[in-house]
Amino acid sequence: MWRPVLVLTCLIACQARFAAQEGHPLTGTWSGDWGPSATTRRHLTVVLEWDGSRVTGTINPGPDAVPIGSVSVDVASWTVRLEADGKDESGRPAHISAEGRIEDLGSIHRRLIGTWTQGGTKGDFRLTRE
Amino acid sequence: MKDTRRAAGRSGERDSQRARGASCSLEARAAAGIAARCAGVRRSLCAAALAAAGLLAAPVQLPAERPFSATYDATRQIHLEGSVTRVEWVNPHAFLVLLVRDATGTVARWAVEIGPPLDLERAGWKRTSVQVGDVVAVDGVPSADDRRQAFARSVVLKRTGKPLFTRPTARRAASSAPAPRWPDGRVRLGPPPGGKGYWAEPSATVLVDRSAGAIRLNEDGLLVNLSDVDRVAPFRPWARALYEYRQRTRLRDDPLARCVPPGGPRQFQMPNGVQFIEQRELGRILVLHGGGDRNWRVIYTDGRPLAQAAELVLSYYGTSVGRWDGDTLVVESVGYNEKFWMTNGGLPHTEALHLTERFSRPNFDTLRYEVTVDDPRTYTRPWTGGWTLRWVPDREIEEYFCEENAESTFLR
Repeated sequence: MWRPVLVLTCLIACQARFAAQEGHPLTGTWSGDWGPSATTRRHLTVVLEWDGSRVTGTINPGPDAVPIGSVSVDVASWTVRLEADGKDESGRPAHISAEGRIEDLGSIHRRLIGTWTQGGTKGDFRLTRE
Repeated sequence: MKDTRRAAGRSGERDSQRARGASCSLEARAAAGIAARCAGVRRSLCAAALAAAGLLAAPVQLPAERPFSATYDATRQIHLEGSVTRVEWVNPHAFLVLLVRDATGTVARWAVEIGPPLDLERAGWKRTSVQVGDVVAVDGVPSADDRRQAFARSVVLKRTGKPLFTRPTARRAASSAPAPRWPDGRVRLGPPPGGKGYWAEPSATVLVDRSAGAIRLNEDGLLVNLSDVDRVAPFRPWARALYEYRQRTRLRDDPLARCVPPGGPRQFQMPNGVQFIEQRELGRILVLHGGGDRNWRVIYTDGRPLAQAAELVLSYYGTSVGRWDGDTLVVESVGYNEKFWMTNGGLPHTEALHLTERFSRPNFDTLRYEVTVDDPRTYTRPWTGGWTLRWVPDREIEEYFCEENAESTFLR
């Protein structure tokens, strides 16, 4: 029973090692969750890319993908703000606004942690660079 | 054990700046009855360090592949005396493991780095030059943190008073002989027919924009004055901030510490050198790397166009095409991944990196290397730097695997 879990864990760990990137700290795939409380969480994947002039990206790529409208980075503090227009769970338009800070900047497992507001729901988010 | 804070010279750091690999752990074991001594002027510090390290109950950590600056504190010195319990004659750094007794009689295990075994062997030393049970006195620099680890500047065998593991420091005089040439007159980047040799001893182990003038950095690429950041290269703001972060954290996140290949210009900063194999009939030049993971790189000289980076499988060494411009080999490369630092010191880059390298051999013993960095996502304009390498005659690059010092094999 535990073998598949162990294999999956190993694969995730290996992927994290091999996907290390040392370029723009935001570029890449970030995964984690957000939610209004510790017990109410939603999976979150954010794909970001630095194209030389700005950071672009997508929230939850796939059928429910939300293109990120704007990303701003304060490199003095590595504070990141992003804005996007998505939908809430009932399918109604919901603006997404998030602000977080990159932690452990030099690590291949750096994190982006902060506050996440989607429509009328406020919460926190925690992402780790894959 | 003596630990005194003072400005220390940098002799020995060049060796230690060799590629440093994954952490290595040595299990601690009690060793009653082995004579070891911890003597010195700051015994309280000695005792505190031993206590903090968990004495013999905790493993000794050997961060073997990190930059010297991230591993050791060159502003302090340490004196250790103890019995050798183990000789780790492995690349990239050989270690002695000592049992050291402090003033209170407490014994702790210390790992003492004595240099690259390739260099030690060239100087006539062997793994049997010191025996388990020998008592040695070590003067060196301690770990930058609380690890029981030191870099030895001198090792003396107590029973004879003879120094161990010494190496010549004088550099061989450069030859003024002309560069060897192929029958058609083109410069050879390798040895003359029937000879052997390779390129090493880079004149600089850092890369800076040559238009910036003199900038003081140590051999790991750490700026002496952090205020010089803006002179190193024409950074975009994010790249400047990241480079400064890496400098402030003393290069602790260097991917080379995970045995990631030294792609880009860094391959010519590695102490174990490079060897050029010119396969003219195949239209390519192989660059064999003595350091890192003993990789090789291919430079195609068959006239093919430079590939489009977007179409390539991105790699550590990129895709390179070369052409001769008189006596200079001009190499264009694209297709780099973002998984490595392209130089000592942590200059960042992106997948948009385009390097133009120029290799020339003004005389037999000198290889002039110049590189233009063009990465518009990272730098505001192309910029150029370079250095020279020296010919190491009558030798092949020797076996060296960064991975060999990784924890999994170190403990075998």
